[in-house]
Amino acid sequence: MAAIFGGLQGDKYDRQYGDAALFRRIGRYMAAHKWLVILGLLGFLLTGMARAVRPVFISAAVDEMVAGGGALALLLAVMTAITVSEYIANYGRRRFTVVVIGRIVARMRKDCFRAAIERDLAFYDRHKTGAVISRVTSDTQEFGDVMLLGSEVISQFLSVIILLSALLSYSLELTLILLATMPMVMLAALVFRHLARIVTRQGARAMAVVNDNIQESVTGISVAKNFRQEAMIYDEFSAVNILSYKINLRRGLIMSLVFPTMGVLSAIALSIIVWTSSHSVLAGAFSAGAWYLFIQSVDRFWFPFMNLASFWSQFQQGLSAAERIFALIDAENTVVQRASRRLPNMAGAIQFQNVSFEYERGQPVLRDFSLDIRPGENVAFVGHTGAGKSTIAKLITRYYEFQAGRILVDGVDARELDLTDFRSRLGIVPQQPFLFSGTVIDNIRYGNPDASRDEINEIAYGIGHGEWLESLPQGLDTPVGERGARLSVGQRQLVSLLRVLAQKPAIFILDEATASIDPFTESQIQDAIELILARSTSILIAHRLSTVRSADRIIVLRDGAIIEEGSHQRLMQNGGHYAELYNTYFRHQSLNYVERAREMFAASAQ
Amino acid sequence: MSAEFSVKSPIQSDRSSPLRFIVSHILRHPIAALLLVAGAFSNAYLAGVVPGAVGDAFSAVLLNNERTLPLVWNSVLLIIASQTLRSALQFARNFSAEVFAQRFERDIRDELYSSLLGKSMSYHDMQPVGETMARVTNDVREMNFMMNPGVNLITGANMFLIMPAIYAPGIHPQLIIVPLFFIIAHSLSQIYFILRLHPIAQQVRHSFGRMNASLAESLEGLEIVKGAAQEASEIDAFNSLADLVSDRFIEQGEFEARYLSVLLFGLTVVLALLHAATMYNGGAIGEGDVIAFLGLISLFQFPVFISLFSSARLASGYASAGRILEVLNASAKLDQNAAGNRGALRGGIQFDRVSFGYDGGEPVLSDVSFRALPGQTVAIVGQTGAGKSTLSKLVNRIYDVDQGRVLVDGVDVRDWDLQALRSQISIIEQDIFLFSRSVAENIAFGRDEVELERIVESAAAAQADEFISAFPAGYDTIIGQRGMTLSGGQRQRLALARAFQTDPPILILDDSTSAIDSATEDKIQRAIWSAASGRTTLLITHRLSQIRWADHIVVLRRGRVVAQGRHEELLRSSESYRHIFDRYSSSDAALPAAGG
Repeated sequence: MAAIFGGLQGDKYDRQYGDAALFRRIGRYMAAHKWLVILGLLGFLLTGMARAVRPVFISAAVDEMVAGGGALALLLAVMTAITVSEYIANYGRRRFTVVVIGRIVARMRKDCFRAAIERDLAFYDRHKTGAVISRVTSDTQEFGDVMLLGSEVISQFLSVIILLSALLSYSLELTLILLATMPMVMLAALVFRHLARIVTRQGARAMAVVNDNIQESVTGISVAKNFRQEAMIYDEFSAVNILSYKINLRRGLIMSLVFPTMGVLSAIALSIIVWTSSHSVLAGAFSAGAWYLFIQSVDRFWFPFMNLASFWSQFQQGLSAAERIFALIDAENTVVQRASRRLPNMAGAIQFQNVSFEYERGQPVLRDFSLDIRPGENVAFVGHTGAGKSTIAKLITRYYEFQAGRILVDGVDARELDLTDFRSRLGIVPQQPFLFSGTVIDNIRYGNPDASRDEINEIAYGIGHGEWLESLPQGLDTPVGERGARLSVGQRQLVSLLRVLAQKPAIFILDEATASIDPFTESQIQDAIELILARSTSILIAHRLSTVRSADRIIVLRDGAIIEEGSHQRLMQNGGHYAELYNTYFRHQSLNYVERAREMFAASAQ
Repeated sequence: MSAEFSVKSPIQSDRSSPLRFIVSHILRHPIAALLLVAGAFSNAYLAGVVPGAVGDAFSAVLLNNERTLPLVWNSVLLIIASQTLRSALQFARNFSAEVFAQRFERDIRDELYSSLLGKSMSYHDMQPVGETMARVTNDVREMNFMMNPGVNLITGANMFLIMPAIYAPGIHPQLIIVPLFFIIAHSLSQIYFILRLHPIAQQVRHSFGRMNASLAESLEGLEIVKGAAQEASEIDAFNSLADLVSDRFIEQGEFEARYLSVLLFGLTVVLALLHAATMYNGGAIGEGDVIAFLGLISLFQFPVFISLFSSARLASGYASAGRILEVLNASAKLDQNAAGNRGALRGGIQFDRVSFGYDGGEPVLSDVSFRALPGQTVAIVGQTGAGKSTLSKLVNRIYDVDQGRVLVDGVDVRDWDLQALRSQISIIEQDIFLFSRSVAENIAFGRDEVELERIVESAAAAQADEFISAFPAGYDTIIGQRGMTLSGGQRQRLALARAFQTDPPILILDDSTSAIDSATEDKIQRAIWSAASGRTTLLITHRLSQIRWADHIVVLRRGRVVAQGRHEELLRSSESYRHIFDRYSSSDAALPAAGG
């Protein structure tokens, strides 16, 4: 019943794969469970037969009873046997079906996940992570549900077909009349589906308005309370709540009509059969038992046809879901490695040779870009947003494919490296540090799962005497929560840096956070950064003055080109673009600014 | 102890248990309840007319003479008439259930919402917004589904279940035996299934949730996964979760495949035929009666196929009712103390050996003492988790201390009238919330008919006038509409403008914004300096320039005050405080070092 309502609310998606290709592909998944599929089909067949012959036997028994024949006991015994075997066959059918579907869905999920994790980051620029996630979980789920539903409808039709052949053997004419009533059912189901879709959409919209209203007032409740405005926001809520009630009641009115209407139609169909088949009996065409068989058949026909009409759009959705799943699996990467060379003792020299790169066709970010970074050198990149700072880091990590030129790592073309080996030698801290749920120590170990607890302890307590661990109730064993939510931004950044320290990479890539961090944690972050800088070649996309100044070389970028480079002192003296950037981004981070704050601002406050 | 806010005519319900709660809501709509039950009964009753009519038609067909057709015609008319009437009644049942369901949703949401408005901030502070939203949206929705299709179908199905037992004795008293057998057997099988299925279904949901969470995490952290070359281990972890989901799904499917009522129904049909045939042979009933009886038995199909689904709805609605009651019954702990001190506030704050832990647990603050004279700015500094934000929540009694005292103007905050105390203290929290209304309304929030001039004045003092005026609709710009997003710094300045409007003697500012560029930083600084001037200000900030020039600095570490005083004193007395500035002075060597 729920499924019928669900079916009434369907929607349609665009298609890319041909039906044949789609079914072949699904068939391949099923082929992996060949024997289970065959067993399941056997169950289908047996169930369908049992369901179909039951009414036949009942009418035969009625005939026998009326005729006063002696075979009644035998018929009853056969019916008992049929009932029991139907139950067993049905059990087998459902059981094999869920095993096959369960395994296929799991296989699809695994294939999807592998595909999702292997896609390069350019893919995720075009597709939202949330949408990809829903392909792995919801689309596979939907596909499984539809397979289950489909198997149910197929099973019903199987017994209809078997029953149909029995009916045909009694009377062609009556069978045709019975079938003729079916379009009526299907038409009614289609009309309701259409109506339901409209009112359901309205209902959902009204719900969304209520939810938005609640979301906002619950989030802002402290403001409402501080200003004692509860009555006002209650009135607003009450208005949308009542509106939503009215709209959803209208939806309910339509939905309440579905089954009563079907009931009337069913009664009409039954009456037609009762009336016409009585004529056949009178004409001596067949027995009273056969008459009764036709009467019983009305319901049995009715249900599958109604289901088919209700579920049609759901089948389409299931196929679209399969399509989206295959589209994810088939998506191609732009980053392609030509060889898999390993660099066992990577020194960390990086060379850009005439590299050109664009995210979007026709909008180059780097043009003919060349740069040499010596092993162990610490290079800070500064420039306005969009100057190309992060792009350089993303090309070194091979997250994106460049269009021209070469990037060499220790003299080897980056396209010829074994990516897994290469990346395990990179220590990356993105602008939004990301932690995995688990404990602090799990996260520090992430890039180097073999690190011993002692090693981690040494690293963790080496920074500010482990002061940052004080607010964590279980120290290193504190769970960080989903995405590290239980830790502050500063703590998350520290953990990311410690992760790099534990990994001991040849190349350190830091995209510094811009978030505000308390000065105590910040000074510990600085300590950690300095430790890493001493050990690796470093690519710093700096937002903090102190980080910029700890670099060996500052590279000033504008529109994807290097326009200045050198030390902080020299660049300041030059008075060029760097001096301008300093005034725009770093001036307020200097001690000078702190010391002059009162002079600058106190007067204006009076 | 009254709630902070209550609606004029609140919805009254029995909140002592989920069942009573549901029943008390049902009783609010007696007519709909009556219609639902009456509709369900008559619907099933009229459905029971068909087997009789078919039976009569069968007898007529057996007569096989000129009276047959008129008799069959009667049956046909009876079927159409009774089923049309039945459909009308079924509609009454369905629609009453729908009215019920929608009113349930409307009323319970209203009740819950009013209750949430009435709860103190100490409640809301501890409750994640997502949790509360889940109660007000999903759980309330579940209550709707519990009524329709849940209660609606259960009622309908049970009427169909009893109907054969009502009709059959009309044919012959003995015929009640088989229906009774089925009613008992089906009910037992039903109870067994629901009890067993519930935990299995829960495990399915649980395993699916785990898989989802892990998947979302791996893909959202993909840059880290790839950067650390951990794809293989992520794939392994996901695969084992996907297998777990599949195992649980199969387990549930396998259990459902065993659904015993299907077998019971099949056997009941055979038993019915056996019983009827025996009685027919004994001459106790006629042919038509046999057919009618068999038709009655087939009414059992409806409960067999619908019961599992509708009981699941009832179970989840019941669970939701429990969760909703948790919220309704959660008490707000603070007492209003309306008889307390309600004078004008001058702004002196003193913490006197204060200790505090959430819900009396681990102390977050221990033995904290400091003093702010009226008009002073006190900076509270320390690492995240040191207790800074907690400390700020004790002044306007979002929480009450466990030990010690917080004094405002020398009077313990617990001796103030809560309303008087709170209305004179303005708090600007870390996450600044703005309503989706115009900028002007947000600044004037809580005060009707404020002149635009005054609003602009406040905005200007908060350095917000410039960016507001740059919006196409200026002060009439609706916040949150179509890409109208504000940066953290801009939100903070709007909140400061709001504070300028109320001009409170005490301002508590939890400042965690950061400026990317120096020009913006200048504006934020200017706004904070003006906001702090002329009032007592507790400042939780990461801004060195604010800390540097505060009248008093309190350094917290693990909930204890480890140092306090002015900047110069702290440079001498606190090593970690010195460490912060050390780094700056060394790296700033090129520039003229002023002061400290």
